[in-house]
Amino acid sequence: MAGVRTSREKWGNRIAIATVFVALIIMLTPIYWITATAFKPRNLATTIPPTVVFTPEVSPFVKLFTKRSQLRDQPTQKEYDAAPWWEQMVFDGGEKVVRNRKTGEVRPSGYADRFKNSLIIAITSTLLAVSMGTLTAYGFSRFKVRGEDDWMFFILSTRMLPPVVVAIPMFLMYRVVGLNDTHLGLIILYTAFNLSFAVWIMKGFIDEIPKEYEEAALVDGYTRMQAFFKVVLPEALTGMAATAVFCFITAWNEYAFALIMTTRKAQTSPPFIPSQIGSGLPDWTVIAAGTFLFLIPVAVFTFLLRNHLLRGMSFGAIRK
Amino acid sequence: MAQIKMINVQKFFGQNQVLQDLNLTIEDGEFVVFVGQSGGGKTTALRAIAGLETITSGKILIDGVEVQDRKAADRDIAFVFQSFSLYPHMTVRENITFPLRAVRMDKTARDKAVNETAEILQITEHLDRKPSSLSGGDMQRVAIGRALVRRPQALLMDEPLGVLDSKLREQMRSELKRLHIARGSTSVYVTHDQIEAMSLADQMVILHDGVLQQVGAPDDVYLKPKNLFVAKFVGSPVMNVADVQINGSEVTMKGVDTGFTFDESTLASLAKYDTEITLGLRPEAILLSQARTKGYTQAVTTNIEPLGSHDIVDVRLGDTVLRVRTESGFVSGEGQPVWVGLDTTQAHFFDKKTELNLRGAA
Repeated sequence: MAGVRTSREKWGNRIAIATVFVALIIMLTPIYWITATAFKPRNLATTIPPTVVFTPEVSPFVKLFTKRSQLRDQPTQKEYDAAPWWEQMVFDGGEKVVRNRKTGEVRPSGYADRFKNSLIIAITSTLLAVSMGTLTAYGFSRFKVRGEDDWMFFILSTRMLPPVVVAIPMFLMYRVVGLNDTHLGLIILYTAFNLSFAVWIMKGFIDEIPKEYEEAALVDGYTRMQAFFKVVLPEALTGMAATAVFCFITAWNEYAFALIMTTRKAQTSPPFIPSQIGSGLPDWTVIAAGTFLFLIPVAVFTFLLRNHLLRGMSFGAIRK
Repeated sequence: MAQIKMINVQKFFGQNQVLQDLNLTIEDGEFVVFVGQSGGGKTTALRAIAGLETITSGKILIDGVEVQDRKAADRDIAFVFQSFSLYPHMTVRENITFPLRAVRMDKTARDKAVNETAEILQITEHLDRKPSSLSGGDMQRVAIGRALVRRPQALLMDEPLGVLDSKLREQMRSELKRLHIARGSTSVYVTHDQIEAMSLADQMVILHDGVLQQVGAPDDVYLKPKNLFVAKFVGSPVMNVADVQINGSEVTMKGVDTGFTFDESTLASLAKYDTEITLGLRPEAILLSQARTKGYTQAVTTNIEPLGSHDIVDVRLGDTVLRVRTESGFVSGEGQPVWVGLDTTQAHFFDKKTELNLRGAA
């Protein structure tokens, strides 16, 4: 920002920076606390006053990925010494890792599978929603559609109802067609959630792309489909990236339907993490460890697309 | 290179008719300019030739082949858009290569064609830059390069100079003309700027409200406008128009006592029309004199536009203000009395109702 700045503007600037700092602290503290808790020993997780300084350990993650039970008797010194280091940590916390009686293999808690389910479902539904949304938006943007405004409103109106309202009917329908507890079931649901959003956002982006681009390609000997892929799509990538981030976050975070529609095979992380709260006193460190890992994909995805996202957010306001 | 023919072409947008019975032949190698006010149908006509707009009825022939039902891709024409429409995600080279990829030309031939085109348009040094880093004139050259590289049957241009500043526009205008002469390709050009049209065209096609008004060489159109619209549209400053009364050999403007004397036979031929007459006078058809002259009428100057090479002087004659072209410095200020005469050979008479030029080819 060039030009003369009065002292009033300077103060305004300082206040703005201070406000940003305060906002950052408010927003980042929970993330810090989840991260810290994920590395705390269980007995330090819920102390009063809160423990800020501690020696980090990975026992919450060990417990997150394994089945375990309360220790009835302390393990013998021999048992304790024979156990690998991570199992010793679980012993220290007053629990033991459950092993298969015959083979002695550690029984997994299933978090890895749930995490994998989350990735499969969120990524697939995001790809579907963004690609279908882009094509639909292109159609609405470029062709004369009878009742275009009504259709667009109809598409938008699918978001006016809180999705949970239809959860029970959906559950019953899914049970009839056998989509309960399947990846496909959740993928269809999440794609449907995100599609209207994707259509609206992408229509905004595609409207911004001059239609002369395609016309030039059409005159130059390309079909409309080729023109779409060679000319429109590269220009729409920014918008698609921004849309993908939002769709991914929605699908990744969805809790209610995942809880109702899935039980084991296709269960995603969100309903699984709270189920690990355990019996007796809640073990917040395991919850925190699950949540911590759960945060990573969104952070990575957003980080990778950050340039597109920034340009995308300005919605073509600074085109050229 | 090709001849383009439009036969009875009609185009409706809903209820709105934008092209009415358009009949037009563009000869091989001609530079034809569609000109008219915005909304006159000129861009629609161009887009119809290109295949970007389907016509409601009629035929379009390129080299004798009916193309009105063919896709744009199959008509072998090139189009230059007002917005240039260069793909921002491609370099200049990729932009120019783009049409060649559509016809699957092999790489060596492609490179050769691109380099040749770049050379002609003097954009070789920009080939590896992105369009956004180019100046307006260079963007325009790239857009033309992309159109020419395929050696199309015809080159269609929709106000290609519209977004350039006036100096660059003049320069590009002469470049386009040079290019056309060198290549000899059939070119159709759309503009609303009649000066641009006159300077470029072999044939001008004047459209108004979707109706063809006149086709002709720039001189023809200027000297022999078929109707009042063409007369007023072509030429700058605009032709002076005044309702007149004819008595014998005298033509009198409303609110003026004395009339101008015309050749008897000229006016006699008008008498048979028996309608109200509108007189049209180009600024150079009006003569000014500082001293009382026979056949001249006294008037007062109201405004002067000094343009260097000549002046445009407004004179009030009764109810009418006439714009007159004089040598520079001929009148020194507003409010001066001058004597106004007419070059009667350059006068046009229009039927006030039908707006047709009654003297025809004067």
